[in-house]
Amino acid sequence: MTTTAAKYNRGNPAVKRILQEVKEMQSNPSPDFMALPLEEDIFEWQFAILGPRDSEFEGGIYHGRIQLPSDYPFKPPSFMLLTPSGRFEVQKKICLSISNYHPEHWQPSWSVRTALVALIAFMPTNPGGALGSLDYKKEDRWALAIKSREAPPKFGSPERQKVIDEIHEQMLSKAPPVPQLLTNGANETNLLPTSDASDEQANKAVEGESTSGSSSGSVNNDLPKPGSELEVVQNIVEARTEGVTNHSMANPSRESIPRLAPTPQNPIVAMQKPKHDRLLTLAAFGLSLAIMALVIKKFLKINGLAGFIESEF
Amino acid sequence: MGDVPAAPAPPVEGGDESNPNPSGGGCSDFVSVELSMGGDRYHSCCGDADLDICAPEGPKLPYVGDKEHLSTLAAEFQSGSPILQEKIKLLGEQYDALRRTRGDGNCFYRSFMFSYLEHILETQDKAEVERILKKIEQCKKTLQDLGYIEFTFEDFFSIFIDQLESVLQGQETSIGPEELLERTRDQMVSDYVVMFFRFVTSGEIQRRAEFFEPFISGLTNSTVVQFCKASVEPMGEESDHVHIIALSDALGVPIRVMYLDRSSCDAGNLSVNHHDFIPEANSSEGAAAEKPYITLLYRPGHYDILYPK
Repeated sequence: MTTTAAKYNRGNPAVKRILQEVKEMQSNPSPDFMALPLEEDIFEWQFAILGPRDSEFEGGIYHGRIQLPSDYPFKPPSFMLLTPSGRFEVQKKICLSISNYHPEHWQPSWSVRTALVALIAFMPTNPGGALGSLDYKKEDRWALAIKSREAPPKFGSPERQKVIDEIHEQMLSKAPPVPQLLTNGANETNLLPTSDASDEQANKAVEGESTSGSSSGSVNNDLPKPGSELEVVQNIVEARTEGVTNHSMANPSRESIPRLAPTPQNPIVAMQKPKHDRLLTLAAFGLSLAIMALVIKKFLKINGLAGFIESEF
Repeated sequence: MGDVPAAPAPPVEGGDESNPNPSGGGCSDFVSVELSMGGDRYHSCCGDADLDICAPEGPKLPYVGDKEHLSTLAAEFQSGSPILQEKIKLLGEQYDALRRTRGDGNCFYRSFMFSYLEHILETQDKAEVERILKKIEQCKKTLQDLGYIEFTFEDFFSIFIDQLESVLQGQETSIGPEELLERTRDQMVSDYVVMFFRFVTSGEIQRRAEFFEPFISGLTNSTVVQFCKASVEPMGEESDHVHIIALSDALGVPIRVMYLDRSSCDAGNLSVNHHDFIPEANSSEGAAAEKPYITLLYRPGHYDILYPK
């Protein structure tokens, strides 16, 4: 029976449909995701999505694998992430209504594109204990977002790796930078829209109590090395410290220095240096003024004008 | 403090105890609700209370069975309700055979598919094929206007058109009755055609949303679009009056449904209820309001094909 169908049908209609989807994706590229089938197997795809804006995933590049069933589009594609995100487990099928953990909800009028858009939309949602989901803290997700840009994941055959690398390069070229992460209160975290946040913004955002060093410390420990991201991280550390300074210390210029000094690897020491310098400059300036006054006084004395001055008083 | 740059509401972190929807191992309710909509699903095929009048369920039955004499139906109900036995007797006055379909929620569409293609094969009505091809073209346009992306439905359309063209004789690709039955039983062809009908039905319901809205809100608590997404487009979702009206109108094909249920007129004058679905456009064209050539036998939750004498 199936042979007759194949004969009359000039090939598997699933293949035709998948080719159509590939064509459609290429002619309508999305700024938020990219997906490509492997050359040797059109039912095996690689994709990458950008972390949704205004979330702790923003700027992150998350790679994954799509497997299309042989009776696609009657059965849903299955998705798994290969990049750690703190939202979905790595190399585990993702549990979304649209993916194949819930085949009864899938409809043939949906496509890989629909599913990817849904996947992006689900990232910032509460996982609520769904299979294959993770509920990491915002800071950790944000650190993973930064890390995700460093290098694509290593997975599968060399041909697959080539596709992954190609996708990563393209995504990196259009991905916005990971925004700053600021902490406000014990467990609320906010993101700043741009990476060049001014001191004013930083001060405003961090008036509450700063979190203890533990989470920021862990962020620091697996810092990626690329320049721009390092800068961002430094800004955050700085912003947190300033929050502490403003809020809890009466005389920051005097007390903050000894307090921060015992942590030599902390960039704060360097950031505080200008203040110290300014004090010294002031002192030097004052001293030179005093010396000048003394010199002038002596000069006048030598020239006999002392008597004039003295006579005046 | 208040003018912190806008950020999405932070999700509750870690607080499992305070989570209002602890949905064990499955997907979170939030996610499921998002996409399943409707919720108010029909009873599955043969899941109804009237168990004894249901067609035998099971994977053993092909999508579309062989033609059987109506007496097999009578035999099935030998020890059943007297009303049903009487009704089957009455059916026997007009009909002599039936063809069973698998009770998988797609039985209406598979019955319609086989019945319609068999009709074209027997009558070789080229004018009818021309007519329905035009209608199919309109359905395609409807879906495009509704925002459906062409590649998501075009394969289903082209496979039905292939079947339509191959039942017309005189071409290399022409097929006979055995091949038609074989194709209807082939999962690929059969499912693609079912999906074609589902798209056509969904498109018609959405195109005439105001017309269908009262029917739908009576059936479920959902909007027209939700209804189509939850109860028309997914495979295996059963069909009701609304679906039959829409498909019949969209393709311009009249359908008769004979109702084999336990309802009876008190007067003792028992009759088998039937309903003719006459397409909208046809009824105004007068002459085209032909007698339905597709007759389906309905038992609660299931459709089979009936053959008149």
